[in-house]
Amino acid sequence: MLLIECPYCGPRDQSEFSNGGEAHVKRPDGSQEISDREWGEYVFIRSNPKGLFYERWVHSHGCRKWFNCVRDTSTDEILKIYKLDDPKPPLKDFENKIQTPSGEPDVGSGNFTVKK
Amino acid sequence: MTHLNNQNSPFIHFHQRINFQFDGKKYHGYKGDTIASALLRHGIKLIGRSFKYHRPRGIYTCGIEEPNALVQIISEHSEPNVRATIKKIYEGMEVESQNRWPSIEFDIGSVNSILSPLFSAGFYYKTFMGPHKSFWKKIYEPVIRKAAGLGKPPKEFKAISSHLHHNVDIVIVGGGLNGLLAASSLIDTQYDILLIEGDNQLGGILNNSSKINEINGQRPQEWAKETIESIKKSKNIKILNNTLVTTYNYINHLIAVEDKYVGAKPAEDKVNSTLHKIRTEHVILSNGHIERFLSFQNNDLPGIMLGASFEKFICRYGVIPSKEPVIFSNNSNSNSLIQTLLELHIKPKAYIDSRSGEQIEGELFELIRKNDIPLYTNSQVKAAYGNKKLEKIVVQDSSGGINEITTDFLCVSGGINPDVHLFTQSKGLLEWDDKDLTYKPSKSFQNTITLGSASGQFNFEEIENELNQKLKIFNVNKIIIKIKSNTASRYQIQKLWEVPAHKTSMWSKSFIDLQNDVTTKDIRQAISEGFDRIEHLKRFTTNSMGTDQGKISSINALGIVSDLLDKKVNEVGTTIYRPPYAPLSFAAIAGRNSYEFYDPERKSPIHQWHIKNGAVFEDVGQWKRPWYFPLSKSETMYDAVQRESKTVRESAGILDGSTLGKIEIKGKDALQFMNLIYTNSFTKMNAGSARYALMLGEDGMVKDDGIICKISDEHFIATTTTGGAANVLACMEEYAQTEWPNLNVYMNSITEQFATFNISGPKTRDIMSKVFPEIDFSNQAFPFMTFQFHEFQNTQLRIMRASFTGEMGYEIYVPSNSALKIWEQIQEAGKEFGLTPYGTETMHLLRAEKGYIIIGQDTDGSITPIDLGLNWMIGKTKTDFLGKRSLTRSDTVRPDRKQLVGILPLNKEDSLEEGQHILLNESLQTPVPMLGHITSSYHSPIMGHTFGLAVIKDGRSLIGTKAFASTSNQKTIPVEIVKPIFYDEKNERLVS
Ligand SMILES: [Zn+2]
Repeated sequence: MLLIECPYCGPRDQSEFSNGGEAHVKRPDGSQEISDREWGEYVFIRSNPKGLFYERWVHSHGCRKWFNCVRDTSTDEILKIYKLDDPKPPLKDFENKIQTPSGEPDVGSGNFTVKK
Repeated sequence: MTHLNNQNSPFIHFHQRINFQFDGKKYHGYKGDTIASALLRHGIKLIGRSFKYHRPRGIYTCGIEEPNALVQIISEHSEPNVRATIKKIYEGMEVESQNRWPSIEFDIGSVNSILSPLFSAGFYYKTFMGPHKSFWKKIYEPVIRKAAGLGKPPKEFKAISSHLHHNVDIVIVGGGLNGLLAASSLIDTQYDILLIEGDNQLGGILNNSSKINEINGQRPQEWAKETIESIKKSKNIKILNNTLVTTYNYINHLIAVEDKYVGAKPAEDKVNSTLHKIRTEHVILSNGHIERFLSFQNNDLPGIMLGASFEKFICRYGVIPSKEPVIFSNNSNSNSLIQTLLELHIKPKAYIDSRSGEQIEGELFELIRKNDIPLYTNSQVKAAYGNKKLEKIVVQDSSGGINEITTDFLCVSGGINPDVHLFTQSKGLLEWDDKDLTYKPSKSFQNTITLGSASGQFNFEEIENELNQKLKIFNVNKIIIKIKSNTASRYQIQKLWEVPAHKTSMWSKSFIDLQNDVTTKDIRQAISEGFDRIEHLKRFTTNSMGTDQGKISSINALGIVSDLLDKKVNEVGTTIYRPPYAPLSFAAIAGRNSYEFYDPERKSPIHQWHIKNGAVFEDVGQWKRPWYFPLSKSETMYDAVQRESKTVRESAGILDGSTLGKIEIKGKDALQFMNLIYTNSFTKMNAGSARYALMLGEDGMVKDDGIICKISDEHFIATTTTGGAANVLACMEEYAQTEWPNLNVYMNSITEQFATFNISGPKTRDIMSKVFPEIDFSNQAFPFMTFQFHEFQNTQLRIMRASFTGEMGYEIYVPSNSALKIWEQIQEAGKEFGLTPYGTETMHLLRAEKGYIIIGQDTDGSITPIDLGLNWMIGKTKTDFLGKRSLTRSDTVRPDRKQLVGILPLNKEDSLEEGQHILLNESLQTPVPMLGHITSSYHSPIMGHTFGLAVIKDGRSLIGTKAFASTSNQKTIPVEIVKPIFYDEKNERLVS
């Protein structure tokens, strides 16, 4: 279980939070003018990287505040937590070390030695 | 049989006799005994029958790693699969063996042993495929389920456990030699520390063997006693005994379960176990090692036991399982067992070592020679034989000669493994050690330190070095520890995984997994069939998939596979050890979230009245809602609903709508916010009026509906569906914070603060005027879809003219505390007008007659407002609201979407069934074109027949056509597709 540091309440167990998917996906302004494709991408398409990921969390069993987070999805390490109105930290701030727990390959999962 | 006791053991209280039963027979043990040690005291070897072949099995180990000796504790609600090697006895305990019928001595299932070709690797996947699918369900499965398995599930039990949270700096797992050393070096430091031990006492190897002679000049027991005393006195270290760490999660989060009733019968009304949830900065794993076995023919016979376990029984539990054991080893771990035996003047019957005379440690060689113990070097045990217990073994000596040795006990050691389960759960990396022939922790993934044999460091003189190096990060003082050991100075092992058979027979088997009855032959077969990846092989053979996770055998399997594939073990890899480390009960996991607290019930303030008036309840989410109110025991649900709905149409009815979600929205920009959240426009709406509103997802699909009351441009109250209340609030909060933080708006749930009464029917106005005589309920003073606040009996009510039955009606919002009182006044006043309380079923029927949809029944997350024909609810002039853009996506505007229609049976006696398909042809010849299905269907008392709502492709253009509905008995009935409204289409009654 992750330990998540709510910017308003401090570190709490993951069970107090809900994940809100990818962060910095802005709802298009003037949504009637944009194409079906652009709108469809906003509604349906999210990235799902192995490695650094900007995501949203909400402290649903706490202060009910939303906030943003940078997490390495391959190690589950939380690299940064910041408020919604804080600027998006650039990728270069983080070392993108895809060092997965069991030394798996960059893509996919399973036992490394077996995959060989 | 006192001669089998080791009176020197300080841990067994020989003066305190404890009586217990095993398979109905009375036995006794002593305080401190486990079931296993007590039974061994009586020479009982046969403890159970094996999983698949029903072979006789005994006690193989002396701890948590036990694969065989699983028992059922009858005196504890028949708790199954309890390890006899862990569970301590208490007065009056009743224990039964498992998986045998009719008795352990004579077991019919052991015929499976003869049928073993049926049960070979992959038998589930291969043997039972034919001749017909139903054979599996009807014949094979019940037979196999009866024949194979572990204990029987208890019929009823009520266990109580509690959860405890800890936030500490360091957790030390395992209070053996290294755990004690680490803890004592951290006494009175700034760190908050938990020292967790699975046994009921600290000491580990110091209690379990005679491996250590002296620590810092003291006898090991004295040293341990002093050290434990000083740890107990420290301000910063808390000791948890009888507590097993089962799980090591991300971010140093540990789960440990504490048995509160060790050596005592659990109290029925007290907490039996505590689940500790621990968050820590650092973890020190000093949880030791596990000895592994060796595979040879019939290595499962009762009377065969791991060598270190045999020694542990003697030292820790004061019982000597045999006075003449044979010892078979390929490594130096058994040296101390010989020492222990000789000290008790017990001479092993033979010592068999696969190593050569030169490889065997000099001290051991000397000891064996001096005591005249028959020694077989370069030798192996080929097979064991006996009827339900070991009687003789067959040994191949260095010259290849075959020798038979008669013996009742064989101690086996195949080497030792660091107990890496928790380390791998923490995602730490393992590395194969070619010299010690085992996987050892190599790279920690979290703040994990491994110490002693848990780190793969098997040599006592290295301890001082290792401790000083690894505990440096805590800035502890230099640790000085001088250990004199009894055993070889360096752990040494020769490769040996399996001894080949000397002759085969139907009955003889060489096991690689005792609990799941997997043989080395199964491994070979799996590989020859192409399952050469270790994770595949594990699932195909079920090797190491038992409750013991192959603790004593999984490394052996890797060794055998690596030899077969001619690969190095590290190329074969290892399967992943998953939590929990050992089984823990659901009761422990559930804690207090069980029984009445498992899923809390929510009740309206009127609940007691509903009970008094005979309501039958329906669960709606967590809410208990009245379903219908039968007048007597003999009135059926159908009759009650027909009566209730007829009464509403003819006079009046009242529904407790308190469970509807209620959200209050306030702020300077509340109007703008509501316009963005709901499809409707609230701009031109007058203060004091209300509107039926829809909420969409961004995909344009209907998510919720409700009535919005506008108190002012800066203050709204929204109702939601009962089930949608939490989601609607969460959605509003999300958009307010993430997309429109510039808007000044706040929202809060007021669901439980107000009760809601929905009263409707032609007599409603009379009833309302009687209860609230000072209010003018005329259409002019109180028009449809408006609301008013009124002071009434020292409380404030909000009354709204609205209805979802299609009759004229009002909704009354009452603060919960006054709700019951006012509800009763309305009932009293309504008597003369024939007012009836009604439940959710009548509500659904009345709504459906008007074509009012139910979110989640007539919609399923794939229906737009346009599909429902609710275009009038979409604010055309609004530039934006949730999901607006999606309503013009090519997929949402295509003409053949499923649309809401009404369905009427052509033969009035036919009944429509919810979920059945609407077809254009009568034939059910497959493939049947799927047009859509019936979402709701009821019998209408005003129409005198059933009717339904349905969503069907291009439904609106089919209105007026004849179609068919399928039925649950594979027939079709003719129907007509009609408009989705069956009653008062012009809404004359609604606004009357
Ligand atoms: Zn918070």
